[in-house]
Amino acid sequence: MADTQYPSHPGLERHHSRPFGRRRLLRGAGVLGAALVTATLSGCDRTDDALTFFFQANPEEAAVRMRVVDEFQRRHPGIKVRTVRSGGDPMQQIFTFCAGGKCPDVLMVWELTYAGLADRGVLLDLNTILAQDPTYAAELKSDSVPALYDTFEFKGGQYAFPEQWSGNFLFFNKKLFDDANLRPPGRWEDAWSFAEFLESAKALTKRDASGTVTQWGFVDTWVRYYSAGLFAMNNGASWSSPWNNPGRMNFDDDAFIEGVQFYADLANKYQVAPTAADQQSMSTTDLFARGQAAMAMGGHWRYSTFSEAGGLDFDVTALPVGPKGNGSWSDVGTTGLAIAAGSPRKQEACEFVKFVTGPVGQAVIAESRLFVPTLTSAVNSAGFAKAHTRVQNLDVLTRGPARSRHLPVTPAWERVDALMDRNFGPVLRGVQSATSFKTDLAADVDKLLRKQ
Amino acid sequence: MTVREKAPAPTVPPRTAHRSVLARRQATAGRIFVAPNLLAVAVFMLFPLGFSLYMAFHKWDMFTPAKFVGWANFHRLFTGDPLFAIALRNTVAFTIGTMVPTVVISLIVAATLNRKIKGIGVFRTVLFLPLAVSTVVMAVVWRFVFDTNNGLLNIMLGWFGIGQVPWLVDPKWAMVSLCLVSIWKSVPFATVILLAAMQGVPEDLYEAAKIDGAGAIRRFFSITVPLIRSALSFVVVISIINSFQAFDQAYVLTGGHGGPQSATYVFGIMLFQNAFAFGDVGYASALAWVMFAILLVVTVMQLRFSRRNSLEQ
Repeated sequence: MADTQYPSHPGLERHHSRPFGRRRLLRGAGVLGAALVTATLSGCDRTDDALTFFFQANPEEAAVRMRVVDEFQRRHPGIKVRTVRSGGDPMQQIFTFCAGGKCPDVLMVWELTYAGLADRGVLLDLNTILAQDPTYAAELKSDSVPALYDTFEFKGGQYAFPEQWSGNFLFFNKKLFDDANLRPPGRWEDAWSFAEFLESAKALTKRDASGTVTQWGFVDTWVRYYSAGLFAMNNGASWSSPWNNPGRMNFDDDAFIEGVQFYADLANKYQVAPTAADQQSMSTTDLFARGQAAMAMGGHWRYSTFSEAGGLDFDVTALPVGPKGNGSWSDVGTTGLAIAAGSPRKQEACEFVKFVTGPVGQAVIAESRLFVPTLTSAVNSAGFAKAHTRVQNLDVLTRGPARSRHLPVTPAWERVDALMDRNFGPVLRGVQSATSFKTDLAADVDKLLRKQ
Repeated sequence: MTVREKAPAPTVPPRTAHRSVLARRQATAGRIFVAPNLLAVAVFMLFPLGFSLYMAFHKWDMFTPAKFVGWANFHRLFTGDPLFAIALRNTVAFTIGTMVPTVVISLIVAATLNRKIKGIGVFRTVLFLPLAVSTVVMAVVWRFVFDTNNGLLNIMLGWFGIGQVPWLVDPKWAMVSLCLVSIWKSVPFATVILLAAMQGVPEDLYEAAKIDGAGAIRRFFSITVPLIRSALSFVVVISIINSFQAFDQAYVLTGGHGGPQSATYVFGIMLFQNAFAFGDVGYASALAWVMFAILLVVTVMQLRFSRRNSLEQ
């Protein structure tokens, strides 16, 4: 209104005498807004030539990764690396980045989900790198664990090199086992049976006078329906036929059903493990760390948490074998490093991936105590042993990668996973038998895979 | 304005000419002020709307080029995807289970708060608080409340001898839990709308009714409810729209798969899962437009129904 009432006449002192007039304020706000927009937009357009490395890690793991990155930059001063840490769901983040044209150059990928990216052409076929450097290719192949290396082979292409093994095994509380005069197996080859495992879990489950459980025999720190499938695998069933780009899943296989049922019964029938309702209010990882559970199923990613738990003396052991099983097996849980197909810095990315998955990077990983490296030389190194002095049954970790069996590698994994979650739920809650897989889950998944 | 602009320039008195310049300058300033918002609407609303309609007729996985598939996505929704029927059933159950209690509770609460008593402002403020809380934060807190073994709700029910209810574990109770959370979240907004409408009802109508011997309940149903019909209709429409689009509370409360056993698999979850977990953007877009169509039909029907009712009155 001031400007309307007092148009800009030269003699109008009142307008000019104002320290901060409305028009000046608005102009200032406009300039500031424009400056902010410009700064934001220019900030989005990162034109520095750094190699971007996308990974998921907790703060401790991130520190180890940064050590590897720093070592790489020290040896390759011409290549600058910018790290991009993933949030909760890395696949969603990769989708968003890549679909938006900002795909990181190097990506951490997972064994179960990478095929979805490879199938869409997001990942570079690393055979091109191997073809350029046959010496490196030969060394990598000879030092790698075949099960882990082959996991990232899809439709004839090699889409990642394995970087760490994250298969599952059992942690056990040494004191609780000693108190109960029990001794679990020390090697995969000496594995116990489902019956022996159950007897131990029963003996190690304690209740107070009111019947409330004060100590669980067994807790699961992984995804429950995956764990059930791993018990099925140890009952001689494979999840799918074949494991790579399968045409069908074996959810209706009798051995698979039996293994899943045994796992579900641990909580619902034998009451040696917490039920789904129990797990709402308690963290199974905390239960083991606090000494309130005798055994915990999980991977090496739990190692540092348990190591730092005060007063916990633990070791590792093999998974139990079912009546139809032929030996104890872990799952091929592994993460790998891949290169984006559209990366403008493929050469630098290639150098980085070769470094991290090669002897030097793997040695840093081995000594970190946070990961199990995938190169045989690194996992059997003195550095790895030194980082795991608390573990007596070191064989369970060092032979773990070789004692791993494949989970299905399919671009339809996210859909299969949704179906598994839906159909395993009632079985794991004990309201339905695992034989229900024969009529619902198996048919639904096979129909889905046929459409692929 | 138009007349002034058409008038020959020399005949315009200086004062009018000055006004015209001012008006033009004001109009220009107005356009400048509106421009950023218009731009935002165009970029963040109109473009995505148009793009999603375009995508609904394509198969697109976000990486490979989109392929035109005509009505195939819609055909698959209605004939080839059993989850669509589950999501539709759950969404309808959730909408009814949220909308009806929300309207009833809001009416009661608004009527209670529509009184001239000391400290009513405090009650009104407290009631409005749930609306100020982020849905995700609220859902996380409710997860603790719904805990089967140690949750606040089961502990309180235990005082009355009621056994443990598996709120988020059992499929039937999971939907009830989701509805409860949404009702808790929706009631404040609905109450504020209804309260404002109630405060607009002339006091003399109540006094006349009182003189005629009408009791409080009779006055509420014969005076208050008919006179706040338009606000009530607005609350119903908004509740339906919000329930149909529910996503965040279901995602946090029962997970990204709409568990347990698809009991809380509503349209919002189905859309998100197809778009961002399965990378099937075309299919998710088709679902979004089907949701829009259903909402449009429901809203138009509801508005027609309420208009006809008000005409009959």
